[in-house]
Amino acid sequence: MTPIVLIIVLVIGLCAGTLVGLLGIGGGVVLVPAMVHLLHMDQHAAQGTSLFVLLPPIGLGAFLEYRKKGNVDLHAGILCAVGMLLGGYIGGKIAVPMPTVRLTQLFGVFLMFSAVLLWAKASKPASTLGQASAPKGES
Amino acid sequence: MKKTIGFLLAGIAGGIGSGMFGIGGGIVLVPIFGLFLAFDQHKAQGTSLVALIPPTGLLAVLAYAKAGYVYWLTGAVLIPGLFLGGIAGAKIAKRIEPRRMRQVFAVLLFLLGAWQVIGTWRH
Repeated sequence: MTPIVLIIVLVIGLCAGTLVGLLGIGGGVVLVPAMVHLLHMDQHAAQGTSLFVLLPPIGLGAFLEYRKKGNVDLHAGILCAVGMLLGGYIGGKIAVPMPTVRLTQLFGVFLMFSAVLLWAKASKPASTLGQASAPKGES
Repeated sequence: MKKTIGFLLAGIAGGIGSGMFGIGGGIVLVPIFGLFLAFDQHKAQGTSLVALIPPTGLLAVLAYAKAGYVYWLTGAVLIPGLFLGGIAGAKIAKRIEPRRMRQVFAVLLFLLGAWQVIGTWRH
């Protein structure tokens, strides 16, 4: 890795992280397009690398904040994690043999879908953690 | 029992999204919790975070790695930036109006998605 590429990668991480903290969205939706367009990685490599980056528990701090307010169903969350482990394997098995062009198209459609969800969250009035009228969206 | 199966199925759906698109999975899990399991929004987000703490993407990473699709060095360099950026972003978020930011970002994300789809037509 040349020093210039190293700096670009560090800056991508910093920018994606800032958006995560700012908007409460997952890093993957930002990381994957950034790696494809700025680092010229192909769609598969960008997705595989993004999955690797997301392995550490980045959301731990946020989880503790939610737990303080009692907004956590641990039982449901743990069951869900078991399902995700399995689903992740299935998803990987579907995506890996897929032609890159087809995967890129699907990812594009997925981004548009995510954008609609994010907009729906934004269009509701802002409220603080713990209130009943919560803004819609993902963690 | 019915609920248990529901949670497991939600996890499988989130995991498929995560493995297929290289993302965390929260963007899939939260709407499922809200729409199909009748969780309120905060509980949906908090519970989704529980599911995202263990390295649930491990099997997906292995599937990509076997095909040579994981750039380990690039990934390792991205992690500290993401962590520090997350703290910075959370601090900035306290000072600005987040709703407008979300809307701007949603439009950018939509255009990015459209650009990716349209871009593949040239191939």
